[in-house]
Amino acid sequence: MLETEVLSKVFKGKVAVDGVSLYLDKGESVGLLGPNGAGKSTTISMMSSLIKPTSGDVKLHGKSVVNDPDSIRKVLGMVPQEIALYEELTAYENLKFFGRIYGLKGEVLKKAIQNILELVGLEDRQKEVISTYSGGMKRRINMAVAMLHDPEVLIMDEPTVGVDPQSRSHILEMVRKLNREKGLTVLYTSHYMEEVERLCDRVYIMDYGKVIASGTKEELKSILSGEETIWIDLDRGSPNLVMELQGFEGIQQSTETEKGLKLIVPKGSKLLGKVFQAAERHEVQILNVNVQIPTLEDVFLHLTGRKLRD
Amino acid sequence: MGTFLWKDIIVLLRKKTELITLILMPLVLIVILGFALKGLLGGDTEALNMKVGIVNKDNEQLGIEEFINELEEMDLSEEVVSELRLAGGEISPVSLLDEVFQEEGIQDIMETENMDVADRDKAVAEGDVDAVLTIPEGFTYQALQKMLLNKGDVTAFDITINEYSSLSANVFNSIVEDFVRTLNFETAINRALGEEEQSISSLEEESRERNELGGIETVSTGEPISSFQYYTIGMAVMFVLFVASTIAGEAYVEKQQHVFNRILLSGKHPLLYLAGKMVSTTVIAFVQLVLLFSVSALIFQSFITETLEFWAGMAMISLFLSICVGSLATLLTSLTIRFNSVAFVYIFSGGLVTLFAFAGGSFFPTSQMPEVVALIGNWTPNGAALTSYMQWMQGFGLDTLRPSLFRIIGASILFITASLVIFPRRRLV
Repeated sequence: MLETEVLSKVFKGKVAVDGVSLYLDKGESVGLLGPNGAGKSTTISMMSSLIKPTSGDVKLHGKSVVNDPDSIRKVLGMVPQEIALYEELTAYENLKFFGRIYGLKGEVLKKAIQNILELVGLEDRQKEVISTYSGGMKRRINMAVAMLHDPEVLIMDEPTVGVDPQSRSHILEMVRKLNREKGLTVLYTSHYMEEVERLCDRVYIMDYGKVIASGTKEELKSILSGEETIWIDLDRGSPNLVMELQGFEGIQQSTETEKGLKLIVPKGSKLLGKVFQAAERHEVQILNVNVQIPTLEDVFLHLTGRKLRD
Repeated sequence: MGTFLWKDIIVLLRKKTELITLILMPLVLIVILGFALKGLLGGDTEALNMKVGIVNKDNEQLGIEEFINELEEMDLSEEVVSELRLAGGEISPVSLLDEVFQEEGIQDIMETENMDVADRDKAVAEGDVDAVLTIPEGFTYQALQKMLLNKGDVTAFDITINEYSSLSANVFNSIVEDFVRTLNFETAINRALGEEEQSISSLEEESRERNELGGIETVSTGEPISSFQYYTIGMAVMFVLFVASTIAGEAYVEKQQHVFNRILLSGKHPLLYLAGKMVSTTVIAFVQLVLLFSVSALIFQSFITETLEFWAGMAMISLFLSICVGSLATLLTSLTIRFNSVAFVYIFSGGLVTLFAFAGGSFFPTSQMPEVVALIGNWTPNGAALTSYMQWMQGFGLDTLRPSLFRIIGASILFITASLVIFPRRRLV
């Protein structure tokens, strides 16, 4: 339905996006992962026709969007990372304004506003100005505006940044419902791996402007199928221990965590004895050990050498 | 378009700071300047430097000759004729008036320029002179007849004043009035000496009543402009410019908050957004002007007795000015969106508006400024509008207003053209 072909964007000699090719089938929910500066926002800005690619193309149903931006604008709902609303207007007035510029009028507009307010759970706060809303409520109206005109494709650029858990859960549930029940095609970018794992069928991982991996969640996790993750809780942090373990034969990755450290090791390797001995040498007490199968976060770390929120 | 207008008005109404700047601030300044600078406009002569025109339709020499010829035809003794002939040459009022103008004290504050009738109307309309004295045709002959023979009537002097500089005009009026009064008084004394004894005070009164030399006709096509009227216009044409920067500043917020992106993605042509800015600014500017004029009329009694025709003219000038401010807002919006910077808005509202207001005459009448500043000011939208308002308030017709209105229209076209060139079309980059 929507695809990019070797899409690139260069800003003042700096390559922001470098030959990205990806696709979304109708009704699919696709995640776009990458750390800050990976080129995700530039990619989706080109896909939505807001900025023109330096090279490559974006196609909707096989037709170029680069030459005909209006073709995608009619069917696209865009949820930007920013709260793209008028702070001085009420939720209802914001929806009315954007509904009108999308060509909705009269009863159709009124009905669409009421439906979307119900969907985002803010019908009882619709008469309040946006500046009085909490961050989560603003995010929900931010989304509501993007969906007011009943788009076919919804592109969401980190829609849950700075959102309270209740609103976050509401947003995720809403997107999931729209995707599963209404067949809405979703491209979702996020820093939160668990959101992507929960919502998306397929995932693209971007770093330094390029797609470095793609596939279903299972396909991506299979990259680390021969490995397992060991979470070790310590009584105190010990960078020296982390460094020593990094040098151990068989330990592929050793990183410090909030509670202690995380190791990625070959499946079935018997390294725990050595780890206990090293901890003793560094006078660090091991409080808990948890062996876990790899997550997308692990895959990301494995591929980029960076954490997603770095 | 209506959607953008509706949104801009609601957003503005909910921004108290902007409302205070656009409505309350000019009213406060009208009060302050109206009172504080009343003296400067109405009575402070220290810094006075007025320019007056003299249109002399009279031929003094011919008038004296005609008077002498008439004497010779009269049945008078040779001695009387000789005395009157001598007196006629000595007390010709035009020469006496010229002597008054050449006095040192007068020359310090007044510069005279001879001109013809056509130049007079142009000079007054364009504010090149503060007042013009017109000496009527046959004045010398009529005056000598009245003064020396007590025969006939004398046509009055005409003084056409420029209401921009009511102080200068008032001072000039007083100088000529004093001259006429003195001449009438002296004529009355001379006549009394030939008749019977009268007290000086009764002679003064008599001379005032008889006003033998015709007195002065002050020709001013409208009521004199008060300092409150002047500063209502001055502040209105200044603060209306802030509507442009307010709306363009809002465009920057829209860009920063990605609301502009949403508007672009709606599929609406981007120029519709720009047109929306123009219409919103024009309407808001017009409403602002109407509010300021109405409040000034009601509270300061500035325009309370004016006619419907007067208000129609004011509305027309306000509409032209509002459109110009609307087009200025589109230019500022285009620059802001194109370069993703609010600097243009800050430079305009923080510096250019004040400079425009100064040069355009919002703080002091341009006639009291160096010529080059006045010239520049007249090419600013606010300066041209101020000139139009003032000319209209003085009662000049549309012909006189045309150059100023054309300058406002020209500026509007220039701003719109520039904004269309600068504004990004379909995408951000």
